[in-house]
Amino acid sequence: MRYNGFTYTIGEGFRNIFKNTKSSVGSIITMVCTMILFGLSFAIGINVNSILEQVQMKQGMEVFIWDEVTVEQRDRFENEIKSLDGVNTVTYKNKQQALESMKERMPGNSDLWAGYEGENNIFPASFIVTLTDLEKTKDVITEVERIGAKIATEGRSKEVDLEIDETTIHDSLVKEIRNDDDVVSTLLAIANGIKVAIGVFFAGLLVVSVAIISNTIRLTVHARRKEISIMKYVGATNSFIRGPFIVEGIIIGLIAAIISIVIVGVVYDVVIVKVEASHILQQMSVTLTKFMEIAKPVSLIYCVLGMGVGIVGSMLSMNKYLEV
Amino acid sequence: MIEFKNVSKVYSTGTEAVHNATFTIEKGEFAFLVGSSGSGKSTLIKLILKEEEASSGNIVINGRDITFLKSKRVPFLRRSMGVVFQDFRLLPDKTVYENVAFAMYIVKATPKHIRRQVPMVLSLVGLSDKAKCYPHELSGGEQQRVAIARALVNNPSMIIADEPTGNLDPETAWDIMNLLNEINARGTTIVMATHARDIVDKMKKRVIQIDKGIIVRDDRKGGYRSEI
Repeated sequence: MRYNGFTYTIGEGFRNIFKNTKSSVGSIITMVCTMILFGLSFAIGINVNSILEQVQMKQGMEVFIWDEVTVEQRDRFENEIKSLDGVNTVTYKNKQQALESMKERMPGNSDLWAGYEGENNIFPASFIVTLTDLEKTKDVITEVERIGAKIATEGRSKEVDLEIDETTIHDSLVKEIRNDDDVVSTLLAIANGIKVAIGVFFAGLLVVSVAIISNTIRLTVHARRKEISIMKYVGATNSFIRGPFIVEGIIIGLIAAIISIVIVGVVYDVVIVKVEASHILQQMSVTLTKFMEIAKPVSLIYCVLGMGVGIVGSMLSMNKYLEV
Repeated sequence: MIEFKNVSKVYSTGTEAVHNATFTIEKGEFAFLVGSSGSGKSTLIKLILKEEEASSGNIVINGRDITFLKSKRVPFLRRSMGVVFQDFRLLPDKTVYENVAFAMYIVKATPKHIRRQVPMVLSLVGLSDKAKCYPHELSGGEQQRVAIARALVNNPSMIIADEPTGNLDPETAWDIMNLLNEINARGTTIVMATHARDIVDKMKKRVIQIDKGIIVRDDRKGGYRSEI
């Protein structure tokens, strides 16, 4: 059996950490700080995204249809809209419901509203269409108009044969489409702005953390340059020398990751409860993401990041000392 | 064993440390490299250890031309030679035993082999009872013995010693020289760079003298300065 040096490498890695407690603790603290910043920006990003998605879900358009549209046409229309790309939900609002919602908007005038009941209801039925992605608003409008026209003209010859009053025949099922352009474009601008800002912040933090950690490990390696040069003279290969330092980097990275997960987890849920209690969010009636929902990706990112930075950091900082 | 053919070394600063050096040190020889500070002794040692690249010429070690040796292969070249320095270069946080065993870990020796070999080498250098001591608990001479034990432990065919007695008092220096002589008698080639005139004079071994990068003398059984 040949001694493979594996136990030596792992053992030395652990020994190194305890041998240089100060610099190990320094590296861990530095890494935890950067990782917390990472975690916070990640958490903000996740929540902004989720809020925007929730808001987007509520945004959309109201497609008013002519009173003459038949039930079959209406069902077909509804199904075809539902199958469109970017459409989230389609809700039918009949004439009675339209009247009810008008009453809600202007309560009190019961006498006035009485005149609109039943046969006299002038409010058109509509489909309330919400979208999964506000960027697709224009496309969806075009498609809805196309479908409306298609269904209407297909039915036309039949209805002409049946000698239905021509004035009631329209070129499209759609009477009108209403959507709030300003809200949509503002939301889109905000969403994109925040995404870009967080992306830039992320990239910056990554560079900074690699630089800080590789510098910290450089100090550790520098403190042990004598040991490294002795190893070189005795005939150690570069990978053999790197081994324990990389193990050290990985362990430091993992410890920092675990500490960060705990800190971010605790702080996050405390902050979230406070923020959710605020008026603006309550008015918008959106919910925030709980830590448990993001714990998995965050932990994964932290562990990969910790190990990755540990490995890259120790590799970068060692090269100079291996040239003996 | 060690063969230099017209080797020159010019550093990037423009200094020519070694000029056209040609010599051969045979297996089992004991050779002193002498010369004043800055004469090129250390550069010769570094060229043998492949710590520096020769600017021109060829260096052959154990029948293998190392002039263009890939840096990946350098560790394996170094395993064929034990190195001893003036400042001992022991790991301060490892015991005597661990310092010696360390050299065996590096070449991936089996634990069984390590357990057998290390005490044997320690007894050869006379440090069996100091195995559990740390370097700072030892005298200079003892530390140098540990360094020699470390150099010997992997059974190298040669020992390269750079001023091994430089930091020792004369009496201890002689202990070390006797030890090296003993190791040489067992068949290990020894190349030793030194300033110590009396040692070179008394040992009556081969002397290669270098001055301003040029080999000015190569005597079979010489002294520090040859009698003209």
